[in-house]
Amino acid sequence: MSKIPLNTPVLDPRIKRVDLESTYGTTAIGENEHWISWEVFHQKKRGDQHVHVGIVHAPDAQLALLFAKEQFGRRLACVNLWVTKSSDIFSFSYDDEDIFDNATAPEKQYREASGFRVMEKINRYKKSKQKA
Amino acid sequence: MEAIKNLLFRMADDELIYGHRMSEWTGMGPIMEEDIAFSSMAQDKIGHALANYSILEKEFQTANPDKLAFFRKENELMNCQLVELSNHEYDFSLVRHFLFDHADFIRYEMLSTSSFAPLAQLSKKIKGELKYHVLHADTWLTRLGNATEESHARMQSALNELWNYALGIFEPSDFEAELIAEKIFDGEKVLQQKWMEKISPIIEKANLKIPSSSAPVYGGRKGYHTDQLQPLLTEMAEVISSEAEGTEW
Amino acid sequence: MYGGGYIQEEKQEATSPIDDAQKLAEFEARIDRGEKIEPHDWMPADYRKQLIRMIEQHAHSEVIGALPEGTWITRAPGFRRKLALIAKVQDEIGHAHLLYSAAETLGKSREQMINDLLTGKSKYSNVFNYPAKTWADVTVIGFLIDAGAIVNQVANSKGSYGPYCRALERICYEESFHLKQGHDAFITLATGTKAQHDMLQDALNRWWKPIMHFHGPPDKISEHTAKLMRWKVKMATNDDMRNQFLDMYVPKILEIGITIPDPNLKKNEATGQWEFSDPDWDEFKRVINGDGPCNAERLAVRQYVEEHGKWVRTAMMNPNQKVVIPFA
Repeated sequence: MSKIPLNTPVLDPRIKRVDLESTYGTTAIGENEHWISWEVFHQKKRGDQHVHVGIVHAPDAQLALLFAKEQFGRRLACVNLWVTKSSDIFSFSYDDEDIFDNATAPEKQYREASGFRVMEKINRYKKSKQKA
Repeated sequence: MEAIKNLLFRMADDELIYGHRMSEWTGMGPIMEEDIAFSSMAQDKIGHALANYSILEKEFQTANPDKLAFFRKENELMNCQLVELSNHEYDFSLVRHFLFDHADFIRYEMLSTSSFAPLAQLSKKIKGELKYHVLHADTWLTRLGNATEESHARMQSALNELWNYALGIFEPSDFEAELIAEKIFDGEKVLQQKWMEKISPIIEKANLKIPSSSAPVYGGRKGYHTDQLQPLLTEMAEVISSEAEGTEW
Repeated sequence: MYGGGYIQEEKQEATSPIDDAQKLAEFEARIDRGEKIEPHDWMPADYRKQLIRMIEQHAHSEVIGALPEGTWITRAPGFRRKLALIAKVQDEIGHAHLLYSAAETLGKSREQMINDLLTGKSKYSNVFNYPAKTWADVTVIGFLIDAGAIVNQVANSKGSYGPYCRALERICYEESFHLKQGHDAFITLATGTKAQHDMLQDALNRWWKPIMHFHGPPDKISEHTAKLMRWKVKMATNDDMRNQFLDMYVPKILEIGITIPDPNLKKNEATGQWEFSDPDWDEFKRVINGDGPCNAERLAVRQYVEEHGKWVRTAMMNPNQKVVIPFA
């Protein structure tokens, strides 16, 4: 424990209540002392999807939920939260982003509503009827 | 009328002082997530004090909440001594949180059917907040009571230190009979019984023991306080009382 | 496919100094297209390093920034100010949490970051090395330091790193409340009793220098700075941000009868640039290197907090749990 002299008198009454100089040492935070991380999913209102909003560090699921409630449910409308360990999330690599490229490709129009020209056909039919 | 006012002052003063003690942890909690959680509860408690002082002002034409909270003398405050004790370490604060918040939760639950409508309404309004406070307290107590030798010893020692103060929450007032007869509040005695029934199994689950000898610390409700209250009151009044009452800040 | 989190090996590969030219070109093209970089992406080692440094310092600033204002929680005058102040300081811890989380995705653990704060290896915003002597100091911080921070954060929220942008989006939303409550408290003192007005003027006189320091000394336009700006790590020069701050807030100070303690402060309408006296960059350097009025106290308090919270954290540690880098 090394004491570090303070340059100015402590102004914070909360801090004055503790013997600051006597406890100033070299505490180091150990590896994993902040526990594991949990991914938090937030549901704004009933009927909405749960949406990923961030993480909390917690030693277990119940504390993760309590912490998530405070960090992600205290200022946003919220009806429900999910948490899951970060280590339980599986994901594609962004290197493989191109495997999704064809999702919106023009060749896939056959599965879009816009890929079908119904009105054109109806109008063509009506026109031909008028002629007849 | 004096009976209801007395009850409101006891509740408001408890919440005011306890909320201030909790707020001292803001920015200084053991880990960020918990810091945020504790700070929310400090805000809730101070908010409950404000709600009760507001009822006093509205229903009984007392001074406004700021004056009631920040300009009264130490011997006019009716909070129990449990809430005024300095924070010490986190174990002490958590055990106090557990002991006080269970009593607070049950008190409001009892008041939800009070014949005094403003308290019954307030009780319904803050039910969710109180439920969360109790959940938070129970979660930590059961975990730290069962975690390591050190954490268990710390929690047990805090419980020993705080137990008699906690019993002081239930110091009877001069108005118990009146409150019960008028169906305003079922009284401190019933509250204490319910509280014991509720917390005993949780303390057991936390592998902790309720101290065998008990000597309730009374006096707070009559304006007798420990030497730890006045310094806090001085701080609370420092800025607001530096100008004439009613000055906007 | 990544399983069980964003795995450690990948991080090491990514921080390897061999910055493959083709990967770099793709990376820069992505940024040019206005797309975001995500944690799993390949990124130049220097990009990762600078981002960690910047986000970490930002997080530390929130943690330390909670102290000068936290000082005034028990003393805050009246219910309204008190509740707002607790909520604001709470938000700052919340911001620190969001920022540390963003930095974690780059591969530095929260524990390491906090250790670097405690040993002084990693810096935080210099303004928090000055004391909050009176209630008026809290209103100056709440209004003008938060305003300065918003200028900075709004710029950075348009940067290239996804997790940092996401954190800043929420932070900026919450900061708007901070700024408003600070402005409200500032106006109340400025237009209140003589004692209140004088207290505020005194506080502003004390804080003006640190406020001018807030956005940092003029940037040396080096190749390095140019690179960071191209990579959208640094979004504007320090001088530009300071100028924007002065543009927005000098009128708001003057309009309520508070003066600014710099006779040379004026806007050059021709250039659009503010001119001011030398804000004493030597003092800035002295303070940032540890010789400010509160540096020792700030770190001592954090040290105290960490030391006294340690038993709670270690009691709940579970050595069997698998620690991974979060996805956020």
